[in-house]
Amino acid sequence: MTAMTALTAMTAPRAGRLAIAIVALLALAAPFLLADQPYFLHVLILTMTFAIPAIGLNLLLGYTGLVSLGHMGFAGVGAYTTALLMMDHGWSAVPAMAAGAAAAGVLGVLVGIPCLRLRSHFFIIVTLAVGMILFALFNNLDGITGGAEGLPGVPRPGPLDLGFMVIDFRRLGGFYWFALVVTLFALLVQYLIVRSDFGRSLAAIRQDEILAAARGVNVFAHKLAIFGISTALAGLGGALKVMFLRVAAPLSFELLESINLVLLTIVGGAGYLAGPIIGALVYVAIPEILRFADAWRLVLFGVILVAMTLFAPRGLSGMIEAGWRRLRRGPAVTGEEAADGRPA
Amino acid sequence: MAQALLEQIINGTMMGSIYMLVALGMVLIYGVMHVLNFAHGVLFMVGGYVCHFFFTQVLDSYLLAILGSMAVLSVIGLALERGVFRRLRDNLRMQVIASLGLILVIQNGVIAIWGPNALQMRITTTDIRVPIGELSFTLQHFLIIGTVGVTVTAIWLFLTRTRIGTALRATSQNAEAAQVVGIDANRMYVASFLIGCALAALGGALLGPLFLIFPTMGDLPLLKGLAAIIIGGMGSIPGAIIGGLGIGIVEAVSTLYIPTDFRDTVVFAALIAVLLLRPQGLFGVRVRGEA
Repeated sequence: MTAMTALTAMTAPRAGRLAIAIVALLALAAPFLLADQPYFLHVLILTMTFAIPAIGLNLLLGYTGLVSLGHMGFAGVGAYTTALLMMDHGWSAVPAMAAGAAAAGVLGVLVGIPCLRLRSHFFIIVTLAVGMILFALFNNLDGITGGAEGLPGVPRPGPLDLGFMVIDFRRLGGFYWFALVVTLFALLVQYLIVRSDFGRSLAAIRQDEILAAARGVNVFAHKLAIFGISTALAGLGGALKVMFLRVAAPLSFELLESINLVLLTIVGGAGYLAGPIIGALVYVAIPEILRFADAWRLVLFGVILVAMTLFAPRGLSGMIEAGWRRLRRGPAVTGEEAADGRPA
Repeated sequence: MAQALLEQIINGTMMGSIYMLVALGMVLIYGVMHVLNFAHGVLFMVGGYVCHFFFTQVLDSYLLAILGSMAVLSVIGLALERGVFRRLRDNLRMQVIASLGLILVIQNGVIAIWGPNALQMRITTTDIRVPIGELSFTLQHFLIIGTVGVTVTAIWLFLTRTRIGTALRATSQNAEAAQVVGIDANRMYVASFLIGCALAALGGALLGPLFLIFPTMGDLPLLKGLAAIIIGGMGSIPGAIIGGLGIGIVEAVSTLYIPTDFRDTVVFAALIAVLLLRPQGLFGVRVRGEA
């Protein structure tokens, strides 16, 4: 139930609510605050394109306890579907993204029906294989996906007239708000699932599958539903990414990207609502911060990650939570409490 | 057509031998420790680099360079087992994630040290051609097949005829029962990691001179090795051997009928098919409570 305590720790006290309000305001006002800093806006949007698939993966990895090593393949399905619908069939952005997410989710369900019955490490390898196959298709079906060069010229959403102002999504600042709304939608989905009975059943499956089944949870149906939702969110993130980069290219959806997605979810803190956001920020920002270390920066990132699996399996969110508790209660956090950590 | 088929069968046997080494190492580690080590491919790659380093900087003898590389990788394996995997015992998810982190560390470490460009390793066996009918192959092809044949036989004898080998198999079959009869589990963990990493190094050192040495050279052998141990049956040593060889030959022959771009897709589709139809693998035994 650490997830719940994390949530209450973050939302219940006034300080927590205040912090969330400040972050939200800052996020909303970023295009004004960073008006002369297009690079930072660019980095923030890129962060969101990683955060959305990470939210999908978090529901799987953090809340249900399933590892998927092919999530960016599903993101690619959403991305190419959206790109093709907009470019060849003239769909507008929102329905095309919804269709992209739906396509990824449907494929997720189709993969899940046979594969979710497998033992956990077999499932991991199947997701890896599915990711590899999807990448091979993106990369080689030249007639549909444009092959290795991809599909250039993915359009951005048309302008939105609010009456008092017109938001032009083709400009960086305008697209930032679009990305922010999509990210908030993904966060809302995550929040509603985690807070629902369905979400609590998922947590029960993570903690003890057999016990959950004995208590009447239909383990397979729950896993299938969450895998479908998770892959749909990945597809949504992929769609946003190609709209932002204006090109759907296979390298965005290769195996290494899927692996990095797992890693950033862990670094952020799997099983925490804010984990994917923190993880994506760190993943995009750290290579920039460590620029002085040049060639060694990814090595350092990897070392930090391995150290986290050993010493801080609950990621940065877990560390923040522990630090927050210590601040409020003095150094009363027992070793037991620290160790009760869910193996993420 | 017969010529082309023969050519692909020999090429496939050569690649299959390499996959066999990777799969055998992974299956030993998986069987004994239940660790799915995704970093096995980068260890394979480091084996190639270390061999290149010894050959060009120190020894000027391919044989000694291979042995040196196997020794260095054994030490690295020991360090990883002690430092990382032993601490994460019984936590499959964290083991997988730690091994993914190790890929990041090792692959980028190699790029930082040796640069991103491929290294060439000139040895005489890649220049000598062996004619077979109208076809000709490098001597290295047959050196790989022969060396792997000898190595696999030696490992098989080690596992079946020696005390440590028998203890390894016992731990792999039932860890608790093995401990009951006095087998030290920690020693078995060390032994499996040592052998697994040495085999990975041998693979990298054998393949390196033929196809260059570069930071991602271990990625495909890792994936094919994984496919081999699943198709062969997780934890089954004969399964890994036959699975590795079979994948090498099937993917090579498939290029005669399907575009090369989809060669890997064939292997992964076969993997998924096997998992769905026979999750215990072709040679595995269904264990209660598993699969």
